[in-house]
Amino acid sequence: MPSRRQLAVAMGYVAAAAVYIAIGVLYTDFLLSFFVGLAYLLLVAWLVPAGVRRIF
Amino acid sequence: MPLAIGSWAPDLMTKWFVYGISIGGLKLKASDPAQFHRGWPGVGFTHSLLFGVVLAFLIWRVFGSQIWAISFLIGQWAHALTDTGDTVGTMLFFPWTVHIHLNAWAYAGQTGRLHDAAAYFSGLGAAWDAVWIVYGLFSWRVLTRSYFERHIYTADRSWTVMNRVVSVGALLVVYRAAFFYGTSRWIAWTLWAHVIHHYPYDLSWGGPHWVDAAHSPPLTWPQLAGIVGIVAVGSAITLLEHGRRRRARSEREIAFPCECGCREVVKLTKAEYQTVGGAWLEGHEPGDERAPSGA
Repeated sequence: MPSRRQLAVAMGYVAAAAVYIAIGVLYTDFLLSFFVGLAYLLLVAWLVPAGVRRIF
Repeated sequence: MPLAIGSWAPDLMTKWFVYGISIGGLKLKASDPAQFHRGWPGVGFTHSLLFGVVLAFLIWRVFGSQIWAISFLIGQWAHALTDTGDTVGTMLFFPWTVHIHLNAWAYAGQTGRLHDAAAYFSGLGAAWDAVWIVYGLFSWRVLTRSYFERHIYTADRSWTVMNRVVSVGALLVVYRAAFFYGTSRWIAWTLWAHVIHHYPYDLSWGGPHWVDAAHSPPLTWPQLAGIVGIVAVGSAITLLEHGRRRRARSEREIAFPCECGCREVVKLTKAEYQTVGGAWLEGHEPGDERAPSGA
């Protein structure tokens, strides 16, 4: 079974996916490129958390 | 990473011309999208096993990385094999230009990007994708940080090179991105097709039948015999090579510590070790009076 920490990380990715899917359903062009998906994921799963950690 | 690139390789440079694009009022689109995409003349050779082998060989020679070459090949072959599931299929054994197709789901690339997506996400193609998503979820351990650091990062030198510029945290996000993208995209297109636009599901063989699918002609008996022949020869070569490698492995000498506990090294093949039932230096066998004390 995944640990509590692993579940927390997974939940973060699920939340990121929910937003990505919502944008993609409304603007399908958002779904067409892997690199757009990669850039989005780097932004929400790495850059923003890293920025927040640096500020607080 | 090379596996993901390999899996995109067949469509990477060509799909835009299948669906068509407009540049300053100029419409660019293949006159026969299915023929261009999968056929010959056309760029259908990108969906062949040979194309994967040639590119993998180039990757191996140019970058000197066997793991990149093999991973790329697996990805490209996975794409070429998967696309045999639709009604047009692929020229898997190019330069032989016969299309191998299982007719499980409709090929609708010629209808445009959105209609093609609606058709694909209404038929067995999407169901097949779902199988892999569920398999991926069951294999969740491969997406963990510890797995990435222990197995992925250490196996491919390119991660170390990238780590000079960005942190492991960012590389982990890159590693997870392919699964994230594939799964999210599958859910989004499904919602778009069935919740927003109410396209009907048709999970019957060859469906959805509401779309005007492109088809390749059915295989003739001689073509079928040719395919069986190629697969049989390929399987035989693989089995022979596998057997040769196994024999070479068992004939290679391995250093065992002498089992009497004297800390000397005994060199034996795996077969010799199994025959004798252990590794002892001469005179060190149990019961031999020349054996060191304590043996």
